[in-house]
Amino acid sequence: MSPLDFVFQYWPAIGAGILGALVPRGDASTKQRAGLGFITALTTLFVIWLWPTEGAAQAAKVPGEWPHLLNLLIALPLVGAAAVLFIPRQMLSLLRGFTYVVLGIGFVASLWLLTVPMTAGWHFQYIKDWMPTLGIRYHVAIDGISLWLVLLTTFVTPIAAYASFGSIKTRIKEFCFALLLLQGGMIGAFLALDLFLFYVFWELMLVPMFLMIGIWGGADRVKAAIKFFLYTMAGSVLMLAAIIYLVWTHQKLTGDFTFDYLALSRVVLPKSAQLLCFWAFSLAFFIKVPMWPVHTWLPDAHVQAPTGGSVILAAVMLKLGTYAYMRFSMGLFPGPASNLSANLAGVAILGGILYGALVAWKQRDVKRLVAYSSVAHLGFVMLGLFSATPMGMQGAVLQMVNHGVSTGALFLLVGVIYDRRHTREVDEFGGLAKVMPIYAVVFLIVTFASVGVPGTNGFVGEFLVIMGTFLSERLGKFAGIHTVGAAAGVILAAVYMLYVVQKMFFGPLTNPKNKHLPDLTVRESLALAPLVLMIFVIGFFPAIFLDRMKESILLHHNQYKVVSGQAILFADERDAKLLPEDTFSPAFLKGMPKKEQPEAPAAGGEGSQAALGGEGKVAQ
Amino acid sequence: MSTGLFLGLSPLLIVSLGGLLLMVAEAFSKRRVDETSDDRDAGPSSELSLGTTVTLLAGAVFAAAIWFVGPEKLEGASLVAPWVIVDRFTLFFEFVLCLGGALAALLAGGYLPEHRLDRGEFYPLIIFSTVGAMILAAAGDLLSLFLGLETMSLGVYAMVGFRRASLRSTEAAVKYFLLGSFAAALLLYGGALLYGATGHTDLAGIREAIANVQPGKGPNFALVITAAVLIIVGLAFKVSAVPFHMWTPDAYEGAPTPTTTYMAVAVKCAAFATMLRVLIGGFGEGGLESWAAGWPPVVALLAVLTMTVANLVAGQQESVKRMLAYSSIAHAGYVLVGVVATMRAGGDAQGSVMFYLLTYTVSTVGAFGALILMGSRGAEAVSYEDLAGVGKRHPAAGFAFSLFLLSLAGVPPTAGFFGKLYIVKTSIGAGLYPLAVILLLNSVISAYYYLRVMVYMYMREPAPGAPIAKPMRSGYVATALVVAGVLVLVLGLWPTTSLQIAVEAALATR
Repeated sequence: MSPLDFVFQYWPAIGAGILGALVPRGDASTKQRAGLGFITALTTLFVIWLWPTEGAAQAAKVPGEWPHLLNLLIALPLVGAAAVLFIPRQMLSLLRGFTYVVLGIGFVASLWLLTVPMTAGWHFQYIKDWMPTLGIRYHVAIDGISLWLVLLTTFVTPIAAYASFGSIKTRIKEFCFALLLLQGGMIGAFLALDLFLFYVFWELMLVPMFLMIGIWGGADRVKAAIKFFLYTMAGSVLMLAAIIYLVWTHQKLTGDFTFDYLALSRVVLPKSAQLLCFWAFSLAFFIKVPMWPVHTWLPDAHVQAPTGGSVILAAVMLKLGTYAYMRFSMGLFPGPASNLSANLAGVAILGGILYGALVAWKQRDVKRLVAYSSVAHLGFVMLGLFSATPMGMQGAVLQMVNHGVSTGALFLLVGVIYDRRHTREVDEFGGLAKVMPIYAVVFLIVTFASVGVPGTNGFVGEFLVIMGTFLSERLGKFAGIHTVGAAAGVILAAVYMLYVVQKMFFGPLTNPKNKHLPDLTVRESLALAPLVLMIFVIGFFPAIFLDRMKESILLHHNQYKVVSGQAILFADERDAKLLPEDTFSPAFLKGMPKKEQPEAPAAGGEGSQAALGGEGKVAQ
Repeated sequence: MSTGLFLGLSPLLIVSLGGLLLMVAEAFSKRRVDETSDDRDAGPSSELSLGTTVTLLAGAVFAAAIWFVGPEKLEGASLVAPWVIVDRFTLFFEFVLCLGGALAALLAGGYLPEHRLDRGEFYPLIIFSTVGAMILAAAGDLLSLFLGLETMSLGVYAMVGFRRASLRSTEAAVKYFLLGSFAAALLLYGGALLYGATGHTDLAGIREAIANVQPGKGPNFALVITAAVLIIVGLAFKVSAVPFHMWTPDAYEGAPTPTTTYMAVAVKCAAFATMLRVLIGGFGEGGLESWAAGWPPVVALLAVLTMTVANLVAGQQESVKRMLAYSSIAHAGYVLVGVVATMRAGGDAQGSVMFYLLTYTVSTVGAFGALILMGSRGAEAVSYEDLAGVGKRHPAAGFAFSLFLLSLAGVPPTAGFFGKLYIVKTSIGAGLYPLAVILLLNSVISAYYYLRVMVYMYMREPAPGAPIAKPMRSGYVATALVVAGVLVLVLGLWPTTSLQIAVEAALATR
């Protein structure tokens, strides 16, 4: 056992020992401290020794993949958030420094994910029983799709934190707490493969974001915060009902309770239930994306949120909607997802891309404009998903990352000008390029990325999505029209974004208040630099990104194609069915709960029915 | 008489004896309130509160001990059946009731001296009410049921009117007394009719007799139905289901907050225990349990009305205490959904009801306790404005209040979320999809008013010139909050064991 393993295996005991040594008051002798530390460590060891391990299900160990990496990514911010509560609120630099360290370690650790070739299937899988009698497990894993979103999260949040600490001066402690909790929730939601776990993380994100908008937001912040919370919660409780219905159906078919996504993918619900459950799931996700007509919380939330909150909201939280649609709606209910895709694509184009662009065009508040441009951009992402071609889906995932980078940068830029002038009205500005040349250049670059000028990241994503739409079989004869609509959206994006750039940066410098605005500060440029660099990295070398997601996308696509066909074929008016295991790729089902023997539920909280191995057969 | 009998009744006996002893102790105690003194430790609360808590916790510990021994192994415990049934169901409720009572007594230990109400009667009242509640949960016979109900209610009536100088408190007590007696009379009348129809007062006998009655035939059927309606209405009064909830907001608001806490947790839990006993145990057969001709649709309607009306009205309140009163009505609605599901899904669903009551107890005690903590002498925190900016000035108190509110709203990973999830799970398993969806949508409405408290605590500042709330300092209240807070998190993150216990307890009644 290497020292690192030792530390990892017995970390609770070591932590408890240190805590025990620190507890006595200042005048305690060393002997007393050592003794107390030793006793607490021993007690914890005793508890570890007695801890029921029988039911703990382990995924097959894969060489080169450290199984606790994902746990680290999730737990680090959560533990950090708890630790922040114990730091005195006067120690501002310690609070800030601690937050940076936690987020920084998270980012560096997440880079480790890139060292593993992303073959099809799950990586870094970690499974542990949580509530065995209910079939709820702690099941996290990563694949080529969630990989980029996790990296986006760990990449953007430190930047948002760094930028926020420049403008947020009050109640730093609460801010650090909310930020770290949010980070943990978001990463957890991207990684969870157990629907219960996913739901917990999904809801966990709401509270810190609510606080972030409500405490540090603009004038109308309370209304925006409550609107945000209620909208999202209304969607997710319906999803909860659908999850439970699905679990019950699975239980009736197999006799096992499980909330596991992999196992539940095999269930084909009766037709009407399938449709209702699809809508219950998708509504929750569409609200989060947001898609027209449930997008109305987004402009309010964005306009009122502080810059850091807006960046996280736009760059990461909206992606949870698109990611979850891709993973769960398409994975669990491929039948309705496939049948409805042409209509939904129409909604994404008309309500998202075109309507979002037109409304953005009319906005006089730059932040509101960027918020509506998000509606339009996410319309592209959803279109890529609805097209259900490998190219479209690749474009969609890449576009998720792109939108995170470029819209995150845009919100930072809007925050810069707001900090200086405390207004965001386009009419207040003009000719800024003369006084703030660097700011103008950066804004222009990010605008190009957002519009999709070749050489920037936006071009690659939108091009792939439009190509995928054109080639899509799902969209049938509408594919051509959809493509035309989407292409029109690109043009509109250029119109509204360049209009703003032209109004704000060029022309005469009329407003005397703008004559002496300082250019970007060091902190602001440092926060923007990585985002601007990423714009070009993705724009010039998309292959490094597409390559790592390719196999996962292909797997997801093939499975969606096969299973949706099967689901449409087999769906019954009355009865639910279970698809045979060989419908799915074995790489996908790795880690599914297996039942060895039908046993009576064990008493006392030590479940045994969820034990699993590498290869087994599920009793049917 | 055997030792088994004594053991089986030990939670009841211990709590009653403890209550008597405390009464004597109070009578001989030299500690009397001095109205002019500011010494908060001078009054009897400083020793009685702890004594009450210990007594009630001893009751809980004995209930738990009998649970582990196994009540079926106690010889002679069945001698007192069906008047007092010693089974796992009873033990579970005895534990929950004692826990709720103990926490409420701790809250009283901080609240009464702070607000110059420090008179010793409060503690024997709370103990004897709890004894009544425990008898109510254990009763398998309509007579002992009524006895338990009255024992419990009389104590609570006095506790509601404990603030003698306050008109609101007196009004609340009179209102509660009149409507409570009315409800008790309805129950008694229903019981009398049932006795007339079946010749039994014990629930098992009633169940058997009803099983032979055919719907639509037989002279007894009209009597049985009338009796069932009267009993359901009486119970609906006690659990404050809409439209029988009118007394609740006034009584909850007028009563001293520890009494409100006690009513919201212990009285409600005991009423639900009776409801389960009567509806499942008494009316569980003979067509009365069917969806077409029995009580389930009635209770389902009550549930929907209760949840929706209570949540909509709660959003309109300007007083946090009144809002929490309506929220407790809404929670009764959620539990009623579980009661309906019990009819179809059996032990699992009943377990979900009982688990929910446990999670509701800890969250509600916490919420009221946090509200108590926010106020101090002469400035009790009641309205939203009173809470403005508290989260910033007193982060620990604000954090605790937020935790309990989030649990009541059902946000993971708290106990309230898991309780709700389990009720939804069983009701979906029972095929009651509309009820489950209505419950979930209602929890969204409820999130609005729970969040409003957080908005005031964290996002508002007190208006210039307005009094600034100053939290009290009390070890008792802090202890109660810590215990409730730990339980909220533990029941939310590791609910498996307690859930199994609840299901096991539920299975004992069928």
